[in-house]
Amino acid sequence: MDIAARGVSRRFGSVQALAEVTLAIRSGEFVTLIGPSGCGKTTLLKIIGGLVAADTGEILIGGRRVAGPGRERSMVFQDFALLPWATVKRNVEFGLLLAGVGREEREAAALRYIAKVGLAGFEDAYPGQLSGGMQQRVGLARALAVNPAILLMDEPFASIDEQTRRLFQDDLLALWSDERKTVVFVTHSMEEAIYLSDRVIVLSPRPGRVHEVLDVALPRPRDAADVRASVEFTRLVDGLWKILRKLQ
Amino acid sequence: MSERSFAESDSGLAGLVAIGGLALVWETVGRLGISLFVPPLSGVVVVWWGLLTDGTLLGAARSSLLSLVKGFVPAACLGVALGLAMGRFRTVRLFFDGYVNTLMSAPLSALVPVLIALFGIRDTVVAATVFMFSFFVIVVNTVTGVRGTERSLIEMARMFGAGEIGLFRRIYLPSALPAVLLGLRLGAVQAVKGMVVGEMLISLIGLGERLIYYGNTFLITHLYAVILSVLLIAVLTSGAAQALDRALVRWK
Repeated sequence: MDIAARGVSRRFGSVQALAEVTLAIRSGEFVTLIGPSGCGKTTLLKIIGGLVAADTGEILIGGRRVAGPGRERSMVFQDFALLPWATVKRNVEFGLLLAGVGREEREAAALRYIAKVGLAGFEDAYPGQLSGGMQQRVGLARALAVNPAILLMDEPFASIDEQTRRLFQDDLLALWSDERKTVVFVTHSMEEAIYLSDRVIVLSPRPGRVHEVLDVALPRPRDAADVRASVEFTRLVDGLWKILRKLQ
Repeated sequence: MSERSFAESDSGLAGLVAIGGLALVWETVGRLGISLFVPPLSGVVVVWWGLLTDGTLLGAARSSLLSLVKGFVPAACLGVALGLAMGRFRTVRLFFDGYVNTLMSAPLSALVPVLIALFGIRDTVVAATVFMFSFFVIVVNTVTGVRGTERSLIEMARMFGAGEIGLFRRIYLPSALPAVLLGLRLGAVQAVKGMVVGEMLISLIGLGERLIYYGNTFLITHLYAVILSVLLIAVLTSGAAQALDRALVRWK
């Protein structure tokens, strides 16, 4: 499903978080939002998700105006947002439970996605017993279990160590090419933005605006193509840094 | 895990040693006959057994425990309900916050004479005192629990389409549960205090009446036997609340 933002503005008190943001994301595209702190990238993601309302402007999902959260969108959170009192299985089932899906169907979907994110065997563990990387895998399985067309990811790997993060990035790309979701991904990491995305949208701070859009024409699958070692990858990351440095 | 259980059994042992030490000192000092007010522990235990078997303690305890239940159960139900409402709705919180915080730290025993004037010298006064002593700490802990709910959990549930009822049932309630149970535990301890204070002030029924009677008639050994019984009730009440806590909050 495609996403369009038209003249989206949002103010928090005296801070203009977003000003007249207009952008279009194609169906099945992997797009990253990046920018200095305070550029409103998380706010924009939450407006797309329907968690925060825009003051002016509108978000269109598949041509329909967003008025709140909806079944076609799922979110993965920076701090994982797992229910500490529920097992991995119950956490993954949570979206389906709220959607009123029956118990058997819920369990089957949960087990399928737990296996897909590589957590088979941890169904009955509690989040507190898992590492950060594993907890975020639960968060991803939960988001995917409701079979959304759009996956919104808010700095999902920010609190995960570098080695775990690289493995997770490749797993995410594999899942994405499997399921062909539209992904909007917020990050601080330039390498991560270039490595994952079809396009990188750079936002400028105070007020947040679309500053520049970069196309990333690197071959996929990127782990097989050994993209990180390529000259083109380095050139793109460097180009992104030159843009961001001016915005600091 | 094993380290933790080792530490726990260790502290259990330390507790036993402390209690055993106190018992030993008490017995020794009592036997030396230094003061009328320190009878030996063994004597206290003998008298306690006598009072238990002749029905004095059981009769008094029955009345006391009945008042405890009659005061604590409504305090728990209403306290949790008000706490949830205050935690969830700003206007409710702003309305009650002042009263709850003032009354929680107020010397509530001072209000018992008012209750006596209101209800007469009856067990209702004891139940009302129990209610007063335990209600506020339950409210305050419940409010803290609801307000401590992680914002991201709320956003997550809203993202999956949860409405007000879904949020309450699936997020706020389970999230507040540990704090609510802590409130109930502290409330239960307060309730036992309320029970004794209420009964002593009306000096007509229950264990409190026995405390006053034996105190006034200088039956010091009997007095200690009743005090031990009250302590036993307090420990058992707190233990029951803790067991409930462990059964319901297994994930911690």
